[in-house]
Amino acid sequence: MEEKELERLLKTSRLKASESEKKLIRADVSEIISFFDRISLVDTEEKPAYHPTDVQSRLREDEVLPFQDVELMKKGRKMHNGYFVGPRL
Amino acid sequence: MWCNVESIKEFINAEKPSDYYERLLAELSALNREYHPFNLINEGLGKHGAFPFSTKANICVKGFETTAGSKMLKDYIPPFNATAVERMFGAGHFTFMGETNMDEFGFGTFGLNTETPARNAFDSDFVAGGSSSGAAVATATLKYHVAIAESTGGSIATPAALNGVVGFTPTYGAVSRYGLIDYANSLDKIGVMSRSSADSRLVFDVIRGIDKYDTTCSAAEITCSGRSTLFTVKELMEHTDPAIKSEFGRLLDKLGRDYEIREISVEALSKAIEPYYIIAMAEASTNLAKYNGYKYGFQYPETNLKYNDFFTEARSEFGMEAKRRIILGTFIRSESVKEKYYTKALSVRGMIIREMSKVLRDGYIISPALPIPTPKVSEAERLSPTQNYAMDIFTIPPNLGGFPHITFPYGKKSGMPIGAQLITSQFNDYSLFEFVEKWEEGFSMQYRHNLGSI
Repeated sequence: MEEKELERLLKTSRLKASESEKKLIRADVSEIISFFDRISLVDTEEKPAYHPTDVQSRLREDEVLPFQDVELMKKGRKMHNGYFVGPRL
Repeated sequence: MWCNVESIKEFINAEKPSDYYERLLAELSALNREYHPFNLINEGLGKHGAFPFSTKANICVKGFETTAGSKMLKDYIPPFNATAVERMFGAGHFTFMGETNMDEFGFGTFGLNTETPARNAFDSDFVAGGSSSGAAVATATLKYHVAIAESTGGSIATPAALNGVVGFTPTYGAVSRYGLIDYANSLDKIGVMSRSSADSRLVFDVIRGIDKYDTTCSAAEITCSGRSTLFTVKELMEHTDPAIKSEFGRLLDKLGRDYEIREISVEALSKAIEPYYIIAMAEASTNLAKYNGYKYGFQYPETNLKYNDFFTEARSEFGMEAKRRIILGTFIRSESVKEKYYTKALSVRGMIIREMSKVLRDGYIISPALPIPTPKVSEAERLSPTQNYAMDIFTIPPNLGGFPHITFPYGKKSGMPIGAQLITSQFNDYSLFEFVEKWEEGFSMQYRHNLGSI
């Protein structure tokens, strides 16, 4: 894998890696992608199976349901006026 | 007729000393220092003679830190129970023992991708197997206990086999995934480990069934349609170590008294590893996108950083294998190669499901659970990622196709347990218990530890 491609993937997935980690990741990822390339040898026109079983969509009524335990969800969180505190935009 | 070795019933009906659970907790702490099966032990264990159960650390238990073995989820305390857990509590005769060790987010075959890996219950120099490593070690060391575990590509079968316990992975969708910290949504299955098949069946009956919180959960009837033929698959057996092959041959000789054994060729099954890892990584990379360093789990304190820099810094807490899978999954989903890898993998999965379904109508597929004898921790650490992935050759086909399968112990090799894996058609889960119960009539595993004996 080219260094540029790894940089693009790291940026897209919001990950960082040290130079030594990058070297390791590039070697591993190249080995794994070569392994994945073997899939092109499989000759099939089968329909893609998004699920292993026949999953039927079930929808519920669009209504507000109470959440079980909001207080527990907030426990130990940095909160401000009932909102989670995150990075600035 | 179910076999009468259900330790759950035996335990509940038995007279126990008044300090039974206190003593058990003390024993557990000592055990954990050597084998590390538990990430968390519930100090409030025990009520009215209830039977202890554990949960893999990626299954939410209200009020208990649940991390999926990841630093990214440090301090995450779920405000709700997973459906499987809710049903265990609802059954009335189970008590929560704690959360079991695992590879981070389930990413591993040997249980080593975690800060303090669990060790094999028979010899702590050897791997426990993964990713439900702690679940298997707890089951193999505790006399009265069942584990709620989870499998994506073999995370129940492999550790169960390496620790000499029964590991049951149900049909995809038979058990609700609500409250499971996702690895790969179209592959994840909550299942059970226990010392006997009857215990796994009993727990499966408690946790299974349709759930309004999981739309992929199925209402299909679970059947018990026994088969009289056992198929071995030539293409898979070719990759088996001679020592395991000869032990497995002896098992087949014994089973040959009751079943017709036939070797068949199913080329599609040798094509399962690549599509499995492609689908698993694509799904994992999207699932891990939600760990952002402030909503839940690990809180990154530097909220003054720029938006993207904050996430990039916060997400440094992922382990190496998680990073690798996020990068690969992101690559696979790239516009330019999506068809080549992801869509193709889904087609190959379709082909494998069709081929396996055809075979499984006429018989079970039986194989070893792992192609090699149990490796030492030091040996497993030396394997490259693709060598690791190749270890899943037997467990991936049923997991990729959502077929129910069970691992059962059948002997030991150099003092370490060895297990076999049996696969059947989707939703024919009960037949697996029936098969193993019959096997258990003539075989019982001798465990090294029996903590909590009465």
